[in-house]
Amino acid sequence: MNENTEKNIVANPLIVLREEFDNWAILFDPDTGNTFGLNPIGVLIWKHLDGHHTLDEITEKIREAAEDVSSDVTGHIQDFVRNAVKLGLVSHEAPQG
Amino acid sequence: MEITSSCNLRCDYCSHFSGPGDVEKDLPLGAWLRFFSELQRCAVMNVTLSGGEPLYRPDIREIIQSIVANRLRFSILSNGTLIDRDMAAFLASTGRCNLVQVSIDGAIDITHDAFRGKGNFMKAIQGIKTLQQFNVPTTVRVTIHRKNVHELEAIAGLLLEEIKLPSFSTNSASHMGLCRKNAAQTQLTVAERSLAAETLMLLADKYGGRINATAGPLADGRSWLEMQEASRNGRQRMEGRGFLTGCNGPRQTLAVRADGVIIPCLQLGHMALGRINHDDLLDVWQNHPDLRKLRQRSTIALPSFIFCQGCAYTDYCTGNCPAMAYALAGEVNHPSPDACLRLFLEQGGRLPERSAHHRTE
Repeated sequence: MNENTEKNIVANPLIVLREEFDNWAILFDPDTGNTFGLNPIGVLIWKHLDGHHTLDEITEKIREAAEDVSSDVTGHIQDFVRNAVKLGLVSHEAPQG
Repeated sequence: MEITSSCNLRCDYCSHFSGPGDVEKDLPLGAWLRFFSELQRCAVMNVTLSGGEPLYRPDIREIIQSIVANRLRFSILSNGTLIDRDMAAFLASTGRCNLVQVSIDGAIDITHDAFRGKGNFMKAIQGIKTLQQFNVPTTVRVTIHRKNVHELEAIAGLLLEEIKLPSFSTNSASHMGLCRKNAAQTQLTVAERSLAAETLMLLADKYGGRINATAGPLADGRSWLEMQEASRNGRQRMEGRGFLTGCNGPRQTLAVRADGVIIPCLQLGHMALGRINHDDLLDVWQNHPDLRKLRQRSTIALPSFIFCQGCAYTDYCTGNCPAMAYALAGEVNHPSPDACLRLFLEQGGRLPERSAHHRTE
């Protein structure tokens, strides 16, 4: 099993997603007061980091929703998740069972 | 949010008491807790607790705990007299306190207590020191009035050198609430405004950005100097000026009175937009016609007002605060007479000398 097929990536429930009119959003960490901007693809990824979707499934969602998707979209999503983990916005939960 | 209309003090220039926000009955705790859930659903990030005196509410800890549970951060505007070690420890333990702003109006007790009541200077200073001991971010607001306008240097020294606050802000006794009733004793004369502006600009230079203002003599002085210079240099209309652009509040914040009425700002307490837990907050924010009208102020040109006819400064003026405009001219969509440079100069006001270090903030 590789990281793209694992379902254990979960958004930190404390983080607030604030969606704006133009499909962009802000992530707000109430513990630090820090805010982070998300473009529409970032918002889509964020909403699927729920412990029920693999990165491969999220990649597929992006391909369905967007045009001219980069061939390296999986790498971009992995980078997004790695950065989010570093910032405390996302974590890897222990696998069930 | 004015979480209470009550206060343990009755300061002579308080803009709350005898204003529209001075309501008879506070909301019960449950009403606020329900509202905080809505704030979370709306992804509000920060709230400011004021009053009255927010720490005077016996259930203030429950209120703050609910704010924290709903993923919000908070600030508190306080007279500082009710801050003991327990309260400071509690605020620190939340990890969500952006800051506590304490009101200090003098460098010595006689000055501060003149309008705030005997014994309250020492209590407020102790409150600040207690907050500092628990590393709660703390700042001060100095309201400039007739009894402390000659003490500004000493106040700055106390706050920035002795107590070692990172910064403080200033305003002046306004034309609202109790201040209106006690205007002769509290509100600065034109000469005193001139003195305050000059002194504060010098002090702001001396203390390198640690004295701030968005209203009052320091803000006015900086703004007016900029306008006067632009006029003397025959500058073209400055970006964002020449219209009623003085307030961006309607695009950034809402306020709630102690009785739960939603208003654009605590200084526009008469402008009811709805009621919490009754009207959908998002709908009020996005669609209320009065809020939309306020946001459209910025399209109203200053020369369209009789008040501004023949003024040399309209191309550099924002019309300033709509609440002050309402208090003095009876109309929100009007330039504030209190912020009018032409009027100030006609009344004998003088602007400070422009120093080489002068900054406009």
